[in-house]
This record gives sequence, C-alpha cells and structure tokens, in this order.
Amino acid sequence: MAYPLLHIAGDRTETLEPKRNARSSADRIRPLIEWTTLKVSGKPRVYGSILKINRLHRGSVESAVTSFPMAVMYGESDYTLTLLYLLNDDLIRASEFSVKDFERAAWGISRIGSRESVISVESVELGKGRIMEKEIAETAYAFPLTGKKVQGNGVVQGVIDWKEGIGNYSKARIMVMFYPEGKVKVEGRLRVIDVGEEVVL
Amino acid sequence: MFLSVGVRFEANVEALNMVETAGNYTKHRRVPYLVEEDGKLKTVYVPAISGESLAHAYQWSLVKEALGMNLPVCEDCAKGEFFKSMNKAHLKKKIDPIPDDSKKIEATIIKSCVIEDVGGFLYAEKPPVRRSSAFQVSYALPIKSMALFATAEPQLHARHAQMDAKGKKGNVSEQMIYYVETGTALYGFTFNLDLDAIGVSSLGAGPIVPEEEIRARREASLKALFRMLSSAQFGAKLSRFFPVGGITELTVVVTEHPFVVTSPIYDSYIERTKKRLEVIKEAFREEYFFDSTNEVPEEVLRKAIEYLKEKGYV
Ligand SMILES: [Zn+2]
Repeated sequence: MAYPLLHIAGDRTETLEPKRNARSSADRIRPLIEWTTLKVSGKPRVYGSILKINRLHRGSVESAVTSFPMAVMYGESDYTLTLLYLLNDDLIRASEFSVKDFERAAWGISRIGSRESVISVESVELGKGRIMEKEIAETAYAFPLTGKKVQGNGVVQGVIDWKEGIGNYSKARIMVMFYPEGKVKVEGRLRVIDVGEEVVL
Repeated sequence: MFLSVGVRFEANVEALNMVETAGNYTKHRRVPYLVEEDGKLKTVYVPAISGESLAHAYQWSLVKEALGMNLPVCEDCAKGEFFKSMNKAHLKKKIDPIPDDSKKIEATIIKSCVIEDVGGFLYAEKPPVRRSSAFQVSYALPIKSMALFATAEPQLHARHAQMDAKGKKGNVSEQMIYYVETGTALYGFTFNLDLDAIGVSSLGAGPIVPEEEIRARREASLKALFRMLSSAQFGAKLSRFFPVGGITELTVVVTEHPFVVTSPIYDSYIERTKKRLEVIKEAFREEYFFDSTNEVPEEVLRKAIEYLKEKGYV
C-alpha cells in the first residue's frame, strides 16, 4: 500500500534515515493504518521441494541439499487474497492523504509478500465500520491468537509485528497469528468490526 | 506514469529456463500447480520461466538500447554482468575513494549506469545503499485453462566424435548421449515499469540527472521491452532450442499511478483489465492508455510509446 500511496504523493523515497538504522518509507504511512489483515480463498498447500544448492565462489565449489517448504496456491482455481485495511478517519484527515488517496493506492498495489510477487488488484471496496466488544465471533480473516480459543482449521504462524516499525526486522517483536482455513469460531475478549457477512478481529 | 504489460506467448519445444543438470540430464524449471481431483488437491508440475530469467533478458536489451542512445552504462553491466555495484570492488570502478554518504553513492551509481538506475542495485557495504528496481516482472506460467496440457519432455541428443582406435583409452566413448528437457506451453507473464522512478533518487534527493536525460532513459527502457519481446530474445538455449511459436496476445496499459494488468494466465484478463481501468477513470478522473492485440504486438507497443511522447514523458 505504501508504494502506490507515496507514488500518488510524488514521493520517491524508499529508505528513511539511510545512515543510522535504515527504515522503509512505508513507516511514514504506518501510523495511519490502525490494523491490517487478510483472508485467503481456497486452501494453500504447504509442500517441501528438495533443492540442490550449488555455490561457486572463485574456484571453490560448495554443494548442499536443502528442503524448502513453501505455501502454494496457484493452479486450476482462481485463488484470491483479500486484504483489509482499517483506517482511522480522524488520523487520515489530519494527514497529507485523503481516504480517496488510499482507495486509489489500493487499486495500485502491485507487489505483495516477502519476495514481492507481481499481483493485480481486481476490486476495491470502501466501507465504514464500528468497533464492538464481543465474546464469540466467526471470522475468515487472520487474527492474533494470544488469549483466544479457536474452533476450526488454520495455520498458526509467528510474524513480525509491523506496528513496531517497518524495515528493521532484526530486533522486531514476533506476534502469533492464526490464518483460518475458511471460517473459524473464536472465543475470548474480542474487539470486532463488521465487514459484510463476517467480522474482523 | 506507470506501464503494465500482459504477454501471452506460445512456445513449443523450448529450453528457455534450465535449472540443474543431473549427469547427462538437464532439467527444465517447473512449478507446482494445484488441481482438484475428486475433491482432493493434487500437485502437478508444469514448465515455467523465472522472472529472474526474463529480467536478465530485459536488462541486456536495455544495455544495447542505452548504448545505442549514448546513455551511460557501467563497465560491468555493459558486459551483461549485473553485479550492480554490490561491493567495494565493483563500486570502486565508478568512484574511488568511496564516500561515506549514501546519497553521494546513490547519485554516482545512477549517473554512471542506466541499468542500475532502472534495474535497481544493492551496495551491501557500509553504508548500505539500496534502490528498488523500477521494473517488475512475474514468472512466465502456463495459462490456467491449458496448464494441464503443458508438458516438459526430455529429448535425447547424441554427440559423435571420430576417434583413432589407438588413441582410445579405457572407457572413453565415441558417442555421448544427453537429454535436454523441453517445455511446451502457452505462457503468460506480467511486466511493469514505473517510469517516475527513473533518474530520481530513492533516498529523497530528487532528480539525479537532467530532465532531458531522464526522458531519454525512459525511452530506452521502453524500447528495451519492445526489442526483447519483438525479437524473442529472452531465456536460454536459443541457438538450438529457439521456441517455435511467438506472441499470441499482448495488452499494454499506461496509467498515471501504479496499476497492474490482470494476469494473462486468466482467460478473461483483457475484459477484466478494461473494467478495472474504467473504475480508475470514473472514480479518480485518471486518464489512461489501453491497447491489446492478437495480431501485431509491435503496433501496440509503438502506440504506447507515442502516447507517452504526447504526454511529454519521453
Ligand atoms: Zn551498471
């Protein structure tokens, strides 16, 4: 989201404070986003391919075999990712961007993931939501697992807490996220927001 | 301005992207595709061509276009060795002594090499200086509706040598057989080019080269894509496994801000791209260029460059 948004702002900066601890310029828009999560259509399959790693370096050859597990979700079906950005109206109004800028930027998300694969955004929807307290909810969107009981299938993964800063990940905190497979039932002290037929935790 | 191109090409019996050799067997790159069979997911492997491979071809085309337009290309890139000023040894060829100011390092690299300006670089020493590539390219994958017909098939070849019986030692053979795995598929891939990134600092220091040269660099970047596609000079083993086929469809979009064509691996990608562009026009009053063809791809590329010329962009 940062890349197209900064493109709209005419800002080509991608590294902040290059001298001390370089951070991504995505950090500039991080405070404007309250929360972000995603859901996955279909079931990604995790598989491990055996790769032979050969390294040639000025005459000496090293070779090793490694197993490289990864999630695959391309094939016959049209798999999609749905990204959700929760924006705070007041914060956006006080910033140099408008909600419309965010909407256009969403259409312009061109890369995603740690290796930044090329993607195309097929639809963008904008809506208003209200945060509510609940003790039980059903969701298809990923959520932080701590303090919750889950009924249903999914993948648990430790991920970088982006709210602590983007770019310098060597010391960043890890949070445990649950990525549901379809919808799951969650119990706990929840803060939820309605999005169409389902809720986001 | 942001250019996004969707390409579909037919390649029969190609060896565009080989990955490893096991004995006398050279394997084609393959990726897993998930297919459903009796409600269960199954993995099938289909031939593919990596984005790295396409990116290398693009940058090699860019070397030739840039040199042809008298634009600077560094010594390493001019040889097709894209080290991208990765360490002191390579950066010293551009500036010596190396300054400790990242902005100065970035400016030096951008000024002295169009390839690193457009294709990005990473100087991995102190201070580290990085620049994202202004162009993005996907893997080329078999289009979905026909993915299961894509094949990778080993072809047997033999190499003969006439040998003097006296000179024959031990098990030296007069005939050597080897296998080259060839792929056949209708491939699709996406290529994006962020024209606003060219010649401009990614450390917030603004334009690094004069406006006129930025326009020339943009033009070289567009022409490089034109030439790479038109000449089918991408991938490996072209001298003996030049793919039989060619571009079957090409879609080009130019928008003011980033926008990516729907991937050509989907059959409805042209319609979907058009619909999405209409939203961009209606909701954001953003002008765009769109053209698509299944006949003469060069014509579409030419029109896109003309559109950018009219806008004063190249
Ligand atoms: Zn160079």
